[in-house]
Amino acid sequence: MMRQLYLALVSFAAVLGANAQMDSVLTLISKIDFQPSHELHDGNQILLMGYSSTVGGSLNLPSPTLEFKENDSIQLDMWNLSQGPPYTIHLHGLDVDQENDGVPALSFSVAHDDTGSYIFKAPHPGTYLYHCHETSVLHAQAGMYGVIIVRPNSADTMTWDNGYSFHSERTWLMSEIDTNWHHDTIINHTYDSTAMTHLVLDYRPQHFLINGKSEHQLVGNVELFASLGEQVYLRLANIGNYGNRMILSSVLNAQQVSSDGRPLPNTVLSDTIEILPGERYGVLLDCDAHFQGTGVVEYFNLNTGQVENTQNIAVTVDGYVGISEYLEEPKMFPNPATNQLMIALPESIQEMASVTIENMLGRRVLEQKISDKPIIIAPLVSGNYIVRIRSKGREWNRKLIIQ
Amino acid sequence: MKALLIFVLLCPAIVNAAIVNESLYILKDSIVVSSGEKLPYLTFNASTSFTGTNARIVLSPGDVLDLWVHNMDASEHHFEIRGTTPSESILSGDSIHIIHTFLENGIHVFHDPLNYPNQASLGLGGMIVVRDHSYPSFYWNIKEHKRGQNDTVLLGGAVDWAHYSPDFFTINGKSNPYINQDSNARVTGTVGDEIYIYVTNTGQSIHPLHFHGYHVEVRASTRNPNHVGRMKDSQGIYPAEGVVLRLIPDKEGEYPVHDHNLVTTTGANVYPLGLFTTILIAP
Repeated sequence: MMRQLYLALVSFAAVLGANAQMDSVLTLISKIDFQPSHELHDGNQILLMGYSSTVGGSLNLPSPTLEFKENDSIQLDMWNLSQGPPYTIHLHGLDVDQENDGVPALSFSVAHDDTGSYIFKAPHPGTYLYHCHETSVLHAQAGMYGVIIVRPNSADTMTWDNGYSFHSERTWLMSEIDTNWHHDTIINHTYDSTAMTHLVLDYRPQHFLINGKSEHQLVGNVELFASLGEQVYLRLANIGNYGNRMILSSVLNAQQVSSDGRPLPNTVLSDTIEILPGERYGVLLDCDAHFQGTGVVEYFNLNTGQVENTQNIAVTVDGYVGISEYLEEPKMFPNPATNQLMIALPESIQEMASVTIENMLGRRVLEQKISDKPIIIAPLVSGNYIVRIRSKGREWNRKLIIQ
Repeated sequence: MKALLIFVLLCPAIVNAAIVNESLYILKDSIVVSSGEKLPYLTFNASTSFTGTNARIVLSPGDVLDLWVHNMDASEHHFEIRGTTPSESILSGDSIHIIHTFLENGIHVFHDPLNYPNQASLGLGGMIVVRDHSYPSFYWNIKEHKRGQNDTVLLGGAVDWAHYSPDFFTINGKSNPYINQDSNARVTGTVGDEIYIYVTNTGQSIHPLHFHGYHVEVRASTRNPNHVGRMKDSQGIYPAEGVVLRLIPDKEGEYPVHDHNLVTTTGANVYPLGLFTTILIAP
C-alpha cells in the first residue's frame, strides 16, 4: 500500500513537472477486476480489464470517454495496476507519432506498477477510440477500450469549424462479449515476458453490446428521445470483431457526414449505416416528424455475413417542445469559475432541469437540480470539466474551467 | 461526329497505349501457413512454376491486354475479370484467350467463379492494376484460409459457408511476421512520398484494415465507387472487392496496419501470427 502511495505521488509529481505546456493532462489507471462485477443482461457478472479514473471500485464498460479540444496539447498518463501483464493505450485514429502510438515493441508498454505518458495533439475534430494494443486480441475483448471525442474550437455543438451544428449528441459504441474470454485465468493471467505468442480461444460471442449494455439494459441507458425539430448528432463506433448495421427510421433523415475523424467528401442520406470494426461514423438526424419506434443494430459475422444478433434502441421524437424554444440555450457563467456557478435557463425549459458535472475522465463529480440558486463548486479541484445540462429530454454540454 | 469526338478524347491514352501480352497458368501445389501446416492450393501463375502468390498484371490506361489463361490442373476451372469479362470455362489442359482494353486507372479482380466461392477459395484470385503513374506502389491480395477446407473442395465435398470460421489470414499468401519480408507488400517510403496501395480481397470474409499513424485516401473501390475521396484510418475490404488507397506520410516511423477484426491477427488461434504488417517511413 505504501509502495502504491509512493508511486502515485511520484507519478503526480512527474505530471506536475511535465505538464506546464499542456492544455489537458489526464490520468487513466489500467487495472483488472478482482471480482466479477460487470453485469450482463442475463444477470451474470464477468471480470473485466479496463481503464478507470480511480484506483478502487470496479471497472465500467466502456472505459471513460475522453474529450479534448481541437489542437489541444495533451498528456495522457497511465498507471498500470494489471497485477501482471504490461498495458498500453493506442490512440486509434489520432495518427500520433510512433513513440506515442501504444504498440508494444514499436512504442512502449507500461509494466505492472509502473507509469507512462502519451504526449500528442488532436488536430481534427471527430470521434476516435482508445484501446490497449498489448496482446490486443485479448485485452480489447477484455474491456480495455473507450471513446475519444475531439471538439472543434468554434462550439461544442458543431461537428467541426464551419461544419454542421446540432442541438444534442449521442455516442454509441458497439462491441461484443464472449464470456469464455473473461475467465479469471485470462483476465488475471500471469505475465511471461519471454512468450512471443499467445494461444487464444475460438471467438463465439454471446452478448452484443451498445455502450456496454444489451437487451433490457438499454432501457434508460441507450435511448434516443428527441423533440420535434431537434438536430441530433450520432457518434457511432465499433470496437468489436463483428460488423454493425444500424437501421434507423427514414423519418429521422439520417445523413452520414463524417467518418474516422474526417468530413465525408460526399454526405450520404441513408437510414442504414454499416460500421466495421475500428470505424467511426458521424450521423446527423433531422427529427422533423413525430416518431415512436426503435432503431436496430444488427451484428453480423464478418466471415459469413450472417446477422447473429440484433439490439433495439428506443427512439421517440415528440412534439411537446417547439422549434422556437430550441433557439433558446442555457447560459452558464462565470467561466472560468472559482466557487460558484450559475446556470440560467429559458422559462420554457426550466421545469425538471438538472445539471451534472464530470471531470475529463467522464467521472461524475456533481449532480443536482437547477434552481435560481448558485451551484457550489468550491470543493472541486482546479481543471477542465464537462457540464451536462438536461431538461425535457434534451441535453446541452458545456466545457467549464474551474480555477 | 460523336465517334470522332470520342476518338479525339481517347487519343492521349491511345498514344501511350500498348498491347500487353500476358499468360496465366493455373497450377496446383500447396502453401505453408503460420502453423507450419501445408494447405493444398491453386494459383494463377506467370509461368509454369507454381508460386503461392497469384500473378499480378500491371497496365497503363489504354493498354490492350492480350491474355492467355492455361489450365494446367487436372480439373475444369473458369476465369473471369469481375465486371469486365464474362466467365469462361477452361477444361483441364485447355486454354482461353482474352483481349480487353483497359481505359481507366483502377483495379480489377480476376478469379475462378466456378461453383463460387468454392473454386476461388482454393486460392484462385488476383488483381489487374491500371495506373498512369510511377509512384511507389504496393499490392495486397488479402485472403483467409480454413484448415481442411481446401481438401474438401478438391474432393468435391460440400462446404458449409454458413458456418465459415477461417484459421489463417494472409496478405499475398503470408502471415505476420513474413508479410514484411514481401517487398511487394511491405510499404516503405519517405515523408511526403505519394504512395499507392492496391488491395484485393480474394477471400470470403470482410477484412476491415486499420492504419496506424496515417489516414489514407480511397482513390478507387470496385464495390463502393461513391466512397472515392474519403480519408480513412479504418477501411473495410469486402469479398471480391478491389480498392486503391493513397498514402502521403507526414511523419517518419514504423506503424502497423492490421485487420481490426482482431481475431484475424491470430493464426490457428496463436497471436500475433495473422494479418498484421507495418509501414516503414524514413525522414
